[in-house]
Parts: sequence; C-alpha cells; structure tokens
Amino acid sequence: MDERNQVGRWAFGCAAIAIAVLATGCATVAPTQRAILADPTMQFDGEKKHDAALRHAMENREGSMGGTGVSGGGCGCN
Amino acid sequence: MQLTQRTGAERRVLRAVVVALAVALPVAVPGAAGAQVAEVDTTHSVFYEAPTRTHMFVYTPSGDVTASPWPWLEVSGGWEADVVSGASVSTKAGGVYQASHAADVVSTASVHDLRNMARGEATVKGEMTSLTAGYAYSTENDYRSNSIHANARTDALQHNTQFELSYAHNWDGVCNRVQDAGATSPTLFVALENSQGCFTADPTRVTDAIGIDTFETSWGQSWTPIFETQLTYTAQLIQGFQSDPYRSVILGEGIKAQENVPDERAREALTARMAVYLRSLRAALRLSVRGYYDTWAIRSGTLEGEFEKSFGESLRVMARGRLYSQTGAVFWSDDYTGGAPPLGPHGQYFTGDRELSPFWSWLAGLRAVWTIRPAQGRILGFIDSLKLGLSGSVTGFTYLQYTLGGVPVSDARAYVGTLSLNVAF
Repeated sequence: MDERNQVGRWAFGCAAIAIAVLATGCATVAPTQRAILADPTMQFDGEKKHDAALRHAMENREGSMGGTGVSGGGCGCN
Repeated sequence: MQLTQRTGAERRVLRAVVVALAVALPVAVPGAAGAQVAEVDTTHSVFYEAPTRTHMFVYTPSGDVTASPWPWLEVSGGWEADVVSGASVSTKAGGVYQASHAADVVSTASVHDLRNMARGEATVKGEMTSLTAGYAYSTENDYRSNSIHANARTDALQHNTQFELSYAHNWDGVCNRVQDAGATSPTLFVALENSQGCFTADPTRVTDAIGIDTFETSWGQSWTPIFETQLTYTAQLIQGFQSDPYRSVILGEGIKAQENVPDERAREALTARMAVYLRSLRAALRLSVRGYYDTWAIRSGTLEGEFEKSFGESLRVMARGRLYSQTGAVFWSDDYTGGAPPLGPHGQYFTGDRELSPFWSWLAGLRAVWTIRPAQGRILGFIDSLKLGLSGSVTGFTYLQYTLGGVPVSDARAYVGTLSLNVAF
C-alpha cells in the first residue's frame, strides 16, 4: 500500500511539473509590457530585510516553516 | 538563551568583523560615476509578548553593507543581534497534576541573552542567471551555529519564467548538562540549570550537535502584464538534540525530567503565491497559501494577504493580514501525569513546548516605505537614494490545549515593530 502511495505521489508530481512546463508557453508578456511587473508593489519579497525580524519571530512561535528562503544562522528561539 | 554574558574577546572579534565590513566594502568599490555601487542597510526591530507569563522582550538590530564592484559581482556582509530579556517556562505540568497538588507547579526562569550573528554572501550575476554562496556564524550563551548556503537562479522565456534552487546546511551545537552515570533513561535526565560553563572545558557541560539540511526550489511565472505567481517547495531535515535543555516536564508523582523529543525531524512545505496589480487603485494585491507537514505529525495551513498602494512616487503603504492554524505533535500533551490522550502519556517523548501544541493565530499589520530618489544629481552629492521603512504588527494566539497548570493561556498577544533605513551610493 505504501509503495502504491509513493508511486502515486511521484506520478502526481511528474504530471504537475509537465503541466507547469507546458503552461509557461502560454505566458507572452513582452519586455515592453513588464513595467508594472517591475513595480516595487508587485515584488513578493520586496522588503525582505525589513520583514526579516517579523518572519523570525513567527517561525519561532510556530511549529512550521517554509517558503521564505534557506539562509540563516543560530537559534534565536526565545 | 540564558544567563551568562558574552566574553570580552568574543565581543571584540564580532565588533571588529562588523566594523571591517562596514569600512572595507565601500572603500574597495571603484567610484563609478552615476551607477549605484554600494548600499548600507540598518534595521531595528522590537518584539514583545504578553500576557503569557513570559513578558519576552527582544530587540534585534542589524547592519548590512552590499557592494557591486563590477556589474557581474555583488558582495555583502552584515551583522545581526538579539538582545533578549524575559522569562520562559522551566517546569511544565498540566491541570491534572496541578489539581492534585493544589499549588502552582508551573515555574519560570528569567532569560537574558545576547545572540550575535555575522554573515557574508557573494553573488555572481549574468544576464539570465545568478549564483550566490554565503556563510553565517552565530553565537549565544548556549548555542553555536555555522551555516553555509548556496542559491542558483535562472530566468527563461524573456524573463517571464524564473527557476530557483537553494540549499543550506547548518552545523550547530547546543549546550547541555552532563547527566549522572546512573541516568540511563530520559525520564531520569535533569534539565540544564544555567549556561555557565557552556562551550568551555567544564566537565559538567557537554555540547550536543544539531545538523540541519534545508532545500528549497521555486518556480515564478509572469502570466500577464499585471499578474504573476510563484510556487515554492521547501524540505528540511533536522538531526540531533532538539529539546529545550532548560525545560522540565512533570511525568508523575516525584518525577520531573528534562524535555525529550525525537532526534530526527523531516519537514515539508508547499507555498503558492500570487500578485495582481489593480490599475484603478494603483495598488497590488498579494495572496499566499502554505501547507506544511512534518514527521512529528504537525500539519499546518497559512493564509496570508497583503495590499500595497503607492502614494505618488515616494510613498508605499501596505496592510497585511495572516491566519495560521496547526495540529500538535503526535507526542505532545498538556499533562503527562495520567489519563488517556490527549492528556495522558504519549510514549517515550514528552515536551512542554507550546509551539508543538495545537493552536491557531491571526496577525494584522501595517508597513510604510518612503523612498527619496532625486530625479537629477545626488543627495548631499554622494547619496543615490534613501529608503526609510516603518512597520508594526500584532499577533493573537489561541492555544487549544496548552495551559499553565490547567489555566488556559488566554488573550496571548505578540507585538513586533520595525524601523529600517537603506542608503544607496
């Protein structure tokens, strides 16, 4: 059962990646149309250094992590 | 985490590293006229938590210097500290034990600590790709950390697609107490009383290793001129001593033992984000959803929204909201002294860590960023731009099972305020 689940997860992952790769071909934003995408308000981590302390505090108050990068050092887990 | 101060020698070394980076990097940069070649960032943040008995207060200053001596190279160095004061739960018991003893069996210990971290990073940039490598070293009274990280990023399809791969490894060490020879079971282990003697030849102290491997990959996609998404997968494997060495748990009548959690923990998270620009409002809406799972059986979901609007060319204001919910670790209990789960024994592991308990939280916050960039010339003749950031947030926690001696922790709040300044030359 576990083996079947694992195969299923891999199949799902491969299918998702294939769909994602195919879907990128649909995106046709020309370089001249990228002004808004380059706007500071459209950046996911536009103020990463400013928000670092808040993220650090939340990660140490929660039992989970992920999605915000891998670098870091120390515990600082008070 | 606790009790002793940094030695004078360590303070001097850290200060020398920071001063050297701050002085050397801008000096080393060729004075290219017109182009921005260096940046200085400083951030100051305060965290306060109440009323969870801890009254934890943390002040976090940081400083970073980034230089681009050539267009293809960016080098940065920085320092960060945590100045901590407050209290932490040193002995945890639940309502069953509290009721039978008719006294406050939950005890707290005062916490004073200083964490220092020095970091450095170099990025080599091409037209479509960039490679980054970095190192960080941090010290606390009872914790040491060496970490390396590497990142590769590439753009494709006219910059509409971005792929990113990141990896980090930590070689950490946490101070612990040398247990008596007769203490053959974790139920007989005694918690660390303070951090005196840590990382020295003191025979009553030992350093337990922690290895952390973190892998992250992301795919960013611009779909239209006003809409983009990002999908990120994160995996982490932690091996080593992961308990709080200071915390004890009441296991039964006369049995108080150091917290004991598994030595291995594998964690996974999948995050989907989207940003859409609302032309009529001259604002952007960013949404994020994250699912998380680990081998301690904690599952969590996070929903986050940010609305950021520009006012003129200089000012941006953002409102942020966040909802978070998690299940508890499979071995977590509020009371290990008896009864059936969720209050009774959960096997060989026991913890008083509220972060491993089931709870949910909400967050609300505001952030304002003011940027000054002269259309012609430079500020004072040498500053390309100035950016000032100010933010504040409040978080409310609702603990579903965690109590302090059977008394629910109600109305728990955490406040974070941050002030930052970025100067580009």
